Amino acid sequence: MRLLNGSSSAEAGLLAFLPEPMARTDTGGKQMLGWNHPPEHMGMVHEHWRQYEAMSIYWHLGLAMVYTFLMFSSLIGNGLVAYAFFTCKALRTPSNILIVNQVGMDMMMFVNIPWLIVNSVAGHIVGWETGCDVYAFFGAVGGMGSAMNNAIIAFDRYRTIAFPIDGRMSGKQTTALAIFAWLWALPFSILPMVQVLGGKFVPEGFLTSCSFDFLTDGDETRFFMATIFTWAYAIPVTLISIFYSKLFGKVREHSAMLAAQAKKMNMKSLQSNADADKESAEIKIAKIAFTIFFLFIVAWTPYAVVAFVGAFGDRSLLSPVTTMLPAIAAKVVSCIDPWIYALNHPRFRAEIEKMVPCLKGQPKKPKSDAASDSKSVATEATGDAS
Amino acid sequence: MIPVFLLALVVAVKVFKKTTPNGKITVYLGKRDFIDHLDHVDPIDGIIVVDNDYLKGRKIYGQVTTTYRYGREEDEVMGVKFSKEIILAREQIVPPAHHEDKQDLTAVQDKLLKKLGPNAYPFTFKFPPASPCSVTLQPGEDETSKPLGVEYVVKTFVADGADDRGHKRSSVALAIKKLQYAPPSRGRRLPSSLVSKGFTFSQGKINLEVTLDKEIYYHGEKIGANVTVNNNSRKAVRNIKVYCVQHCEVTMVNAQFSRHVASLETREGCPITPGASFTKTFYLVPLASSNKDRRGIALDGYLKDDDVNLASSTLIAEGKAPNEAMGIVISYSLRVKLNCGTLGGELQTDVPFKLLHPAPGSGDAREQKALKKGKSQERSRYENSHYADDDEDNIVFEDFARLRLNEPDD
Repeated sequence: MRLLNGSSSAEAGLLAFLPEPMARTDTGGKQMLGWNHPPEHMGMVHEHWRQYEAMSIYWHLGLAMVYTFLMFSSLIGNGLVAYAFFTCKALRTPSNILIVNQVGMDMMMFVNIPWLIVNSVAGHIVGWETGCDVYAFFGAVGGMGSAMNNAIIAFDRYRTIAFPIDGRMSGKQTTALAIFAWLWALPFSILPMVQVLGGKFVPEGFLTSCSFDFLTDGDETRFFMATIFTWAYAIPVTLISIFYSKLFGKVREHSAMLAAQAKKMNMKSLQSNADADKESAEIKIAKIAFTIFFLFIVAWTPYAVVAFVGAFGDRSLLSPVTTMLPAIAAKVVSCIDPWIYALNHPRFRAEIEKMVPCLKGQPKKPKSDAASDSKSVATEATGDAS
Repeated sequence: MIPVFLLALVVAVKVFKKTTPNGKITVYLGKRDFIDHLDHVDPIDGIIVVDNDYLKGRKIYGQVTTTYRYGREEDEVMGVKFSKEIILAREQIVPPAHHEDKQDLTAVQDKLLKKLGPNAYPFTFKFPPASPCSVTLQPGEDETSKPLGVEYVVKTFVADGADDRGHKRSSVALAIKKLQYAPPSRGRRLPSSLVSKGFTFSQGKINLEVTLDKEIYYHGEKIGANVTVNNNSRKAVRNIKVYCVQHCEVTMVNAQFSRHVASLETREGCPITPGASFTKTFYLVPLASSNKDRRGIALDGYLKDDDVNLASSTLIAEGKAPNEAMGIVISYSLRVKLNCGTLGGELQTDVPFKLLHPAPGSGDAREQKALKKGKSQERSRYENSHYADDDEDNIVFEDFARLRLNEPDD
């Protein structure tokens, strides 16, 4: 292959394996982004990128290293969760179908990680136009699907906690919702591939990854970007905040109702340990809900901002590095997801601790001593009774 | 052997006991079921016996807690606990914090004090007013975690101060039930309901009248529902369905749901053609045993597998609003549904009734006991073999059986 042709390039290291400059746009002897794209594929590189100097090998290597790290953490986290779900029958509950669906979404994102590492080595997207489409398709489905799946999980949790007796969804319902998340992701992942309605997948940043085209001038592109912003970001984020705030409200309501009943029984309030438990439960929920919400914001806001700036704002802000950051953010979250959803889940946690004993206790032990003490009294009281 | 035991059962006082894992302390309770008489509730009366020289300056505390569990343990996500525990009473038992008058002690306490000697200390706890009754919601077949419902536990523990929690080895927990029994008189009123249904495109109405033969039924009794249908319409009644419906209101989470606990469907006399009428008494027996493994059926607090019955109707003291009832509120109704064909729709009515245990001591209770006797003989024979025979004072001790396995410590 051409890759092995050797090179006249002055750059050391991996660049030695890169092809002869195909379309060198010399500006004072510097290689600009896209220099290694052969003319027939030059069309996919937007003018905007060509004004930047080509990324040095160190940037590519650095990115590849970050992605290698992500690859392993994603594999471990998602792998553990999927393995636990499929091997342990007790975990196959309706709610957990959504957790596993999240793993599925994360795996779509995961496919792109090794691919990007290869791209970094090659210096361009492997597979050119087709590769770009497929790469961006996986990213789009994984990203938008997981956004909607996050909202669905929030809904499921709201139902479970708000109506613990009769509100839980059946396996059929959650499966339908899981499929819905995929369907939600599909339209705006397919449209850009067939390039209708102003959508297009193009290389971005270091030109080693692909995503929606937000740079092409024209109302069509802007319209497409606005739609996708609403569809993949605004709607899910609204749903997530609605469900978690409703859930939190319900938990408070339940606590208040119970306190009122305790009062009717002439109990001052829920005494001692019960009281402490109630407090921490609300805080715990708030923390977890906030973490999930915050994580979603961290994952997708950079992307939304970059796309918006590209479509509507001052493009000079969009250097290759600033456009690569959102891609990394989204991928990082796909690695953290399993830890947030499954490993925060008491039963998943217990199963996984069984499989990987070294995980046990480590993160929890130090601070939970006081809390678990009072809790064990409660369980003891009921568990011991005959 | 056996006749002697049966004799003992008749005259003896039955006492429940449980010993701490380290064997140093034993708690005796005169009964496990405490009756809410609406104007007062049986006090929780017991005796605690502690080994000589065990305490060494420490104290024994007793407490009564109620646990509301309103969601399955396996559904707990995000750190939510679907159970709440309320400590209803907590007191120092040994050494006695205040001297109880002799007259305050119940007969069982007196008897036990005499028998168990100087190391026995009495304790008495009271249920707070308006405390809910014990109810267990039957878990589904595949569910293994703790059942939903309202539970009471008496617990004693050894500690230096009231805030100290004590150690498992020197603690003992006894699950008890708070129940309501039917009032002594069943009342004369026969509940009934009369409804009629007209049709959009045709004249005339179908009248349905349902009358029950009692207002209060005892567990195991059959419910007689007299159903009268007068068909003055042009539609025909295809079939008749009769259900016993258990209504369950979980006040902690403001949830309500209903379950059919007995049902029958008949085409007898059907189709009831225009102009015809039909009268018949249908009988249904709502039983826990015919609803095994059905999720969400409410049972009276569940301590042992063999004395399960459907949850009793929640009675409300006079002068109190029904919505003041707490915990899990149970009511029953008999529902009759007439199927008037696909276009005609359904005509349905509900007649409320109460389902309870007869008040002990009333004639009805004796009658029912006799009814049950045949069934329970086998059981009491089995139970007797587990009693520590102690007929000196005619006290029969029964160990608190362990129903559920201990939770792993967290």
